[in-house]
Amino acid sequence: MLIVDDHPSFRASARRMLEANGYDVVGELDNGDGVVAAVEKLNPEVVLLDVRLPDIDGFEVTRRLLDAHGATPQIVLVSSHDFTDLDEAVGASGARGFVAKSELSAEAISLLIR
Amino acid sequence: MGIAAFVVMLNGEHNVHRGAYAGLFLATGWGFVGIGLWVWKQRSAGNIGPLMVAVGFSGLLKGLVFSNDSVVFAIASVGEVLIYAVLIHLLLSFPSGRLETRLDRLLVTIAYVNTTVVQLGVFLFTDSKAGCARCPGNPLLIEHSEAAKVLEAAQLDTSIALLGAVVAVLYRRWHSGTPGRARVFAPIVAVGGLTFLLLMAALIVEQAGLSSDISDAQTLALFTSIACLPFAFLVGLLRSRFSEADAISELLAQLGEGGGRGALRDALADALGDPTLELAYWVPGQDAYLDADGQPVRVDPAPAGKVSTIIEHEGERIAAIVKSGPDLAEERELVQTAGAAAGLTLRNERLDAELRAKVVELQASRSRIVQAGYEQRRRLERDLHDGAQQRLMALGIDLRMVRERIEHDPQGAAELLDESLHELNEATAELRELARGIHPAVLTNRGLHAALKGLASRSPVPVELLQTPADRLPPSVESAVYFVVAEALTNAARYSRAQTVTVGVVRDNGHIDIEVRDDGVGGADADQGSGLRGLADRVAALDGRLELTSPQGLGTILRATIPCA
Repeated sequence: MLIVDDHPSFRASARRMLEANGYDVVGELDNGDGVVAAVEKLNPEVVLLDVRLPDIDGFEVTRRLLDAHGATPQIVLVSSHDFTDLDEAVGASGARGFVAKSELSAEAISLLIR
Repeated sequence: MGIAAFVVMLNGEHNVHRGAYAGLFLATGWGFVGIGLWVWKQRSAGNIGPLMVAVGFSGLLKGLVFSNDSVVFAIASVGEVLIYAVLIHLLLSFPSGRLETRLDRLLVTIAYVNTTVVQLGVFLFTDSKAGCARCPGNPLLIEHSEAAKVLEAAQLDTSIALLGAVVAVLYRRWHSGTPGRARVFAPIVAVGGLTFLLLMAALIVEQAGLSSDISDAQTLALFTSIACLPFAFLVGLLRSRFSEADAISELLAQLGEGGGRGALRDALADALGDPTLELAYWVPGQDAYLDADGQPVRVDPAPAGKVSTIIEHEGERIAAIVKSGPDLAEERELVQTAGAAAGLTLRNERLDAELRAKVVELQASRSRIVQAGYEQRRRLERDLHDGAQQRLMALGIDLRMVRERIEHDPQGAAELLDESLHELNEATAELRELARGIHPAVLTNRGLHAALKGLASRSPVPVELLQTPADRLPPSVESAVYFVVAEALTNAARYSRAQTVTVGVVRDNGHIDIEVRDDGVGGADADQGSGLRGLADRVAALDGRLELTSPQGLGTILRATIPCA
């Protein structure tokens, strides 16, 4: 699992929660631009990707990943925004799905990935 | 003195045309002195009167050259041509009474040197008996025929060139002026130009050594022309009075007709004969000159080729007229007169212009305030999103983990709870800071002094709070004062490298005066960054003013004044 989010407190909590539930977190990243390179290097199965990043947004990162790697890795978008604000964009993005940060749990992620 | 000179000339044994010359010189002398004295009395400024009197006396002096007495003859011979220099001085000074250009001053200087120093030299080497058997002898004669020739030739050449230049200058002055000005100049240019041309011709004839019959006729014509000159001046000066009076009465008639915005400018442009004339109203509130549409006008210094004249009404500066053309005293006088005639209308139109300028400024500041509000909300959302919201999201994840762990791993759960509490404290602090940025609650609850003390204690640069008003102020004023001081302290901490900052807030005579002064590096620019601009708008919304003084190396002073009855 690769965690992409620009807020350190969120990354730390997410890593703790995922590792406690048996996920292997292979890396963390605080920007969108480096994701493609990090995925090539770390080869994660799942990318937990924040929608609102300081440089490019999560949808653009998703597009670049799909262009470069096809269906792998699986992408789960997260945001502190409500799903209703992002509904259509998430559907069109090619990501596996979306979890609101306030709802983030291992169970929610496992429902989205294969 | 005129009569004495007249008698001397009549009796002059070497005076070929005794009666005619004596009469012409008397007319010249009396004409110039009489009219000169009248002008001197009439016009407070300028040297026209004194110069005319000087021409009159130097004319009489020239007449004495016909004296049979050798001493009088010698003195008059040295001063014989002085009249031409004074005439050149007079003509080039017309009508302002001053030599306005460098060329004028140069020509007049050459004329005086040529008719005094050079003339004395010529006289010393000239045998007066040569070519004039009846003339008295030269008591100062130095026999040196070569020096006499050289000096005489030099004087002649200089005189001819000088007269040519003066005629050209006069012609250009007449030709390039406004129609009113040309009317004033016409008689002087006509008679003065004729005089100088005749003199030039006489000199050329002398230079060529032609017959004395021609030169006699020329001299007679020249003296006649000089005798007519004072009357040409009289006509010119009267015309100048009439053309001023015409312009002003036309202006007053146009003012009476009223008209819309810009009508006054048009009337002044008509009256002063300058279609490019600009009328700029002084707006004290903005320390600036603005036109009728509220747009700034450059007055001091005036744009190239233009002259600004400040117009006052009852001792109060109200406007400036920016007019093209040379900076002549006579023009300034006319512009002043026109401005004074339009005084009351000018004052009313100035109020209009001031109002329009205020509307323009209000529109601009309103749109800036709306924009600033939008940006403030965006910043607030971003701060909330990046700060407290993220911490609370993380806290949610952690607390859910605590719930899962609490039974089988109480130790781990307790550690997670400690982390969560830390996150919660951070989130609370960030929310408090944000809330204070929106509106400081301490200001509402405990007043300006407590709020400013709070700001001072949180400032990284030591702050000395000198004075704050004892009474509570209207909430909008308290809030503005608080944010002015907060912004000044933030800027001081970020950019000034100051050791200390002093803050003073004084209620004085219906105003609140705020001063924040630091001892840092200075060089702050109010146009850089939106913080000060936003503050200025905030203060302006309360009819106040914000002023930044920040000389390089000498610290920064931010002052604001807000009306507070």
